Amino acid sequence: MVLQLHVWGPAFSLPSIDAQCLAAIAYCSEVLPKDSWELIASSDPSVSPTGELPALQNGSTWVSRFRNIVDYLRQYSEGAWNLDENLGEVELADSVAFSSFIESRGEPLLDLSLYVTSQNYYNNTSPAYGALLQWPNQWILPPKLHGAAKTRTEYLGLSSLDLAAMEEQRKRDHSAAVAAGKIPKNLIQSPRETVSKLLGRTAQHNQFRLEALTAEFFEPLEAMLARKSYLLPNHSGNPSSLDCVALGYLALALVPELNFPWLRDAMRAKAPLVTAYTERMRSRCFGDVDIKIEHAFQPVGGAEAEFSKLPWRAPGRVSVAAVGTTLLGTLADNTPFLREIRQNRRLKAVVQANGDFSPVQKSLLAQYADSSNKDMLVSVAAAVAGTAALVGYMVSVGLLSFSGGHAEEEQDDDVEIQPEVMHVDPGSAADFLGAL
Amino acid sequence: MPPKGQEGDSSVGTESNSNSFFTVPAPIKRLFDKFPLTTYPASELPQRSQPNTANQLFVFTDTRGARHGRPSFNPQCLKWQAYLKFVGIDFDITASNNHASPTGALPFLLPALPTDTLNPIPSHKLQKWAIEQVHCEEEQQLNLRFEVYASLLDHRIRHAWLYMLYLDSENFDAVARRLYVEPATTNTIVRAALSHQLQQAARDELLKNSRYIDAADLEGDASGAFEALSTLLGEDEHFFSRPNPGLFDASVFAYTHLILDDTLGWKKNRLAQLLREHPNLVQHRDRLLKFF
Repeated sequence: MVLQLHVWGPAFSLPSIDAQCLAAIAYCSEVLPKDSWELIASSDPSVSPTGELPALQNGSTWVSRFRNIVDYLRQYSEGAWNLDENLGEVELADSVAFSSFIESRGEPLLDLSLYVTSQNYYNNTSPAYGALLQWPNQWILPPKLHGAAKTRTEYLGLSSLDLAAMEEQRKRDHSAAVAAGKIPKNLIQSPRETVSKLLGRTAQHNQFRLEALTAEFFEPLEAMLARKSYLLPNHSGNPSSLDCVALGYLALALVPELNFPWLRDAMRAKAPLVTAYTERMRSRCFGDVDIKIEHAFQPVGGAEAEFSKLPWRAPGRVSVAAVGTTLLGTLADNTPFLREIRQNRRLKAVVQANGDFSPVQKSLLAQYADSSNKDMLVSVAAAVAGTAALVGYMVSVGLLSFSGGHAEEEQDDDVEIQPEVMHVDPGSAADFLGAL
Repeated sequence: MPPKGQEGDSSVGTESNSNSFFTVPAPIKRLFDKFPLTTYPASELPQRSQPNTANQLFVFTDTRGARHGRPSFNPQCLKWQAYLKFVGIDFDITASNNHASPTGALPFLLPALPTDTLNPIPSHKLQKWAIEQVHCEEEQQLNLRFEVYASLLDHRIRHAWLYMLYLDSENFDAVARRLYVEPATTNTIVRAALSHQLQQAARDELLKNSRYIDAADLEGDASGAFEALSTLLGEDEHFFSRPNPGLFDASVFAYTHLILDDTLGWKKNRLAQLLREHPNLVQHRDRLLKFF
């Protein structure tokens, strides 16, 4: 049976645009014999029943998330496919702690660099997604990922890297000026800000903050690596699973050519050893050639295949049914209330599909999903009741009236035969506001 | 309704060609004339904090716990409560909640000296303050593993804790509702809303990093984290072989104590089962509990 690893597709001359996927690819390329696995850039989390990438498919079994894949490969091969078998107790503890450290500190930095920094997102990340995704996902997924990255990094207080938000604010100011009728429209220009200008002028503390964040991340890694060839001391001369995780996050910090490469600059300045190590690991795991999208979608045999170390296999064509499901799913996810019902259902479905849960756990999790559905219905009912009460109150006070004339006006709004209906008396609006 | 408002705005805006740069549409102006906008000063501290004779640490606790200086039931508060005890700073604890805090989060400390100050110290500045007071070491600088292993507590164990306390409905009813919701109010509707908010906040926090919440995954991560911490502690009395407990011990104790504390009334405590597999962590917690 050939194992298939489904990942987000290649970008920035790396085999994947996602750090966890890069880690999984590195791990598989180290541990699996070359003809026993295939790499598929499906770039669509919905291919896997778990709804997440990276996902490893073995027949009808699906395993997602890096750590689960590592565990599964160890169990499946009865201990043969395991990079960590030579580690002592202390090294294992370090491996767990450093993985958690890299994931928890590296992810916000990548989010800031690739998604929140507007220049990089609109000029580099977003086009990269456009190239590797198929219709309609290329319109649906990037904004979703962008939004998720923004929420994840909100607590760092660095949203001023996000020029879009500031641009909106400026536009509002300008349109206020236009509405005042003082400045002719064509004289108002919105100067495009660059991040460096902005950092230089208004928010110098951002620079300090980024400085501190990158130092906190790179310094322990630099100290841990010291002069060794891998992060953990071992005698086998092979990387461990920790090295794969590190490669995933560090490669995305180092390799992409971005408009505003603050993360790469910081990495080179603060951690020269780690930078060299990342380059070394990258050519060891991913091969020496820059990986392009064509490698993943039209893999060829012969000389070209020799260069690339990775066993690419073209993803299956997207069926009409899959496109329909994606569209419907997105529609449902964007409808308030339906979204939450779907989220709770997702938890339940996963639980029932997963054989590892004991029956007790299953029933409890199902109970939880049910009860949160109930919570949700209660809040729907509360919202409806609240709106009804408000409308009732407004009617009783006389702010709203449902007299026949008004209703007709509303209905005939866009009928052109009665242009006078469109005319709205400004006085009545003023009365309405005044009555508040 | 909205189109009417806009019509009104623009017509008023264009016809009043006054000399001011930006004209407020008349109806809006009339509305705001009725509500003068003011900026209120920062919220005042609770009245009972005024007699300022000792350092006062505001934490989540009940009145009995506050009188006897018992450990707080909130990990973040307990961490700082334990740290201040370990470095030998005297303080009283006061039962409080997030709404009383100037930063919106507990714990915060009201120092006794200088007497005229009313500047509370939020939790992220507590360590600096403690170092100024008793000249203890800044432990992060001493060992590169401090921050690395701290990430286990701040992420893996915290996520499993959030799941166990807030999202496991039996535990939520037995523990979180009693500790956080019921002391806040006696009103049933407000209680229901508060509970919903708490659970939703925990759910959002967990969904930030993954598309769905997988309890088995969270427990597996926590189990790995306990194992790593147990190896780090080894046979030592305190973490990093220090003679006295410090900030890292306080951070670990904040979770291990609450997980092992049976008086909280856990209905299902999977984390305690996982933790008891590592006797040195349990002994570490028992040793530190003697400070209280």
